Amino acid sequence: MANATTRPLGQRLILPALILAAVVGLLWLIVAATQANLERLGVDPGIDFLFRRAGFEIGQKLIPYSANSTVLAAFAVALVNTMVLGFAAIAGASLIGVLIGAARLSRNWLLARLGAVYVETFRNVPALLQVFFWYYVVLSSLPLARDSYQWFGLAYLNNRGLFVPAPEGAVSGLLLALLAGFIGAFALGRALKHRREATGRGWPAWPFVLAVGIGVPALVAWMLGDALRWEVPRLGRFGYHGGFVLMPEFLALAVGLSAYHAAYVAEIVRSGFNAVDRGQREAAQALGLSGAATFRLVLLPQAMRAIVPPLTTVYLNLFKGTSLAAAIAYPEVVSVMVGTVNNLVGQPVVIMGLTLLVYVTFSLAIAAGMNWYNRRLAVRGS
Amino acid sequence: MTAPARWRGARRWLAENLFSSPLNALITVAALAVAVALGAVLIEWLLLDAHWRGASPADCPDKNAACWPFVRARLDQFIYGLYPVAERWRLNLGVALGLALAAPLWFRVLPVWYPALVVLGWAAIGKLLFLGGWFGLAYVGTADWGGFFLTVVAVTFVLVCSLPLGLALALGRRSASPLIRTLSAAWVEGWRSVPVLVVLFVAIVMFPLFMPPQWEIDKLLRALLALTVLMSAYLAEAFRGALQAIPTGQVEAARALGLNYWQTTFRVVLPQAIPIALPQVTSNFIGLTKETTVLLVIGLYDLLGMVQNAAADPAWYGPGTLATGYFFAGAFFWILCFSISRASARLERRLMRRGLNQVR
Repeated sequence: MANATTRPLGQRLILPALILAAVVGLLWLIVAATQANLERLGVDPGIDFLFRRAGFEIGQKLIPYSANSTVLAAFAVALVNTMVLGFAAIAGASLIGVLIGAARLSRNWLLARLGAVYVETFRNVPALLQVFFWYYVVLSSLPLARDSYQWFGLAYLNNRGLFVPAPEGAVSGLLLALLAGFIGAFALGRALKHRREATGRGWPAWPFVLAVGIGVPALVAWMLGDALRWEVPRLGRFGYHGGFVLMPEFLALAVGLSAYHAAYVAEIVRSGFNAVDRGQREAAQALGLSGAATFRLVLLPQAMRAIVPPLTTVYLNLFKGTSLAAAIAYPEVVSVMVGTVNNLVGQPVVIMGLTLLVYVTFSLAIAAGMNWYNRRLAVRGS
Repeated sequence: MTAPARWRGARRWLAENLFSSPLNALITVAALAVAVALGAVLIEWLLLDAHWRGASPADCPDKNAACWPFVRARLDQFIYGLYPVAERWRLNLGVALGLALAAPLWFRVLPVWYPALVVLGWAAIGKLLFLGGWFGLAYVGTADWGGFFLTVVAVTFVLVCSLPLGLALALGRRSASPLIRTLSAAWVEGWRSVPVLVVLFVAIVMFPLFMPPQWEIDKLLRALLALTVLMSAYLAEAFRGALQAIPTGQVEAARALGLNYWQTTFRVVLPQAIPIALPQVTSNFIGLTKETTVLLVIGLYDLLGMVQNAAADPAWYGPGTLATGYFFAGAFFWILCFSISRASARLERRLMRRGLNQVR
């Protein structure tokens, strides 16, 4: 490194120049070969095919779609399915992971052992094997439609998937209300906390936050009245129809990926809390803080600083892991684009590019979000 | 009369660790209930209700019970894939030779030419014994490679190729030249943000498009190159973290002694950085071992792929058979990954001592 600076500039530029020439040359060769191959195979370049009729059905669609929609619409449906799966698995892995991590930190010997057994079992077995297990063994042994497990006549679980009620009619109104409630609760929470920190007076924020977060959507749903209906799944001749259906493929992936990545989350949580100096807890207790206050005000904020950076890596791995869906044909981006669309239209360059772009974009977004959160957690004023 | 000292100790341990408070006692009872319930289900299904004897589908009349005859009948396939039965001795011999060649590394740290020799030896074993096609040995194409053998080949190949590449990329990210830094960073961050499955599809679908039509590259080789590229990015991150952990004083002292860049890197920095990187490298190694299962999606059947295939045979078909197969594959992977992490802990302790000795 420092050696380089002692040599004359011309000499220092030789290696980078050679590398640059090699990289550019290689790229040029690849592009040229690809163009020649595409011409030879008679693939017309361009993205026109995205706007043609797709011609295939998709098993799980959360936005309107039919075989008559465009390929681009199929891509959008697949993208939504990827996001739903990614979100569900991240939430599931975080929840299970925190619980298992807490178990491992427990002073109860038996509970800590059980947590360790969970971690060692789930992280040393391939994720794909676990997904297969849930899909082919557990979920395929669920009952037939007429013998479904049911909850209050609203939700049904059978070997075709999980059927839940779906809102119908003014759905966008409900979504807007949910968003408004979320933003309102967030803003109110910040304002109340700020005031309490500034003046030392006021009430704890959480009851108000909860009231706004749940109250606003509930109020809007009530005001919408008949404009918003809930479609409950009904048993027809060919199984249940109506409402949302979460395919068995989705359930297997969500459960399998959650359970697998939860083992990693648990380890991160455990080492995060172990990284907090013992003296911190003792000092907090010496100051007379209660157990809960010690945890919330002293231990948790410091542990989070050690937890968030490695947690980002787990979330990124998990999001990339949703592509395992292609192995059991859950219609997310990889199985729809690389599996179905590419077989139909044979446009590998655009399709692969689009698929890679999806993952690069989401990886960057998740990393950016977690980094933002991490900066907020950093020691203020340092 | 008081209890013997040993029992008093045990009682105290119980009181402190399991029954220190009513809540703790409640947790203990609940945890015990969960453990016993899970254990009972597993033991009942895997051992008590299972079919044990025989090696044919008729030996598993209950389709829901665990079916060990299935594993017994197909074990050879799980391990050797579709490699011709008469030629399987070549795989045994090759793996034994490969292990014998690498064995000295297990007992002591040898100079760098020896690992290089091992790698050359492995390449020769792969080409001459596994592929064959010379000296009267029948040629066995990679299409017939499978089972656990495929996992071994894939992990070895990818690790051997990606370790130097990853190290070079990590050094590249710390290079004085902005061009090399940018290219290394782009390579690492780019590959790290895409899923292995998509990269495998790129290797299968796109790679032929990148090449002149007369060049045809073996499917397995394409897949392994894809895994190598990904792994190089992961390992680069592992090495980068370790390089950052070396105090700058070490580099400055080496320069002050008149060592050049390569001497500083190979004699001062790396001997200290590699033991630090080892836990990260190991976890990537374990990740790779698990990730080879994904090869089944592109039609290369590793252990899991062979289990999946074998259980699809209508003669054997049944939920119990499939579950037994998965259980077997899971246990296999579990033992494999667990042993890798143990072995690496041993290597880490030894390298740490040696690295420090060399610096002193």
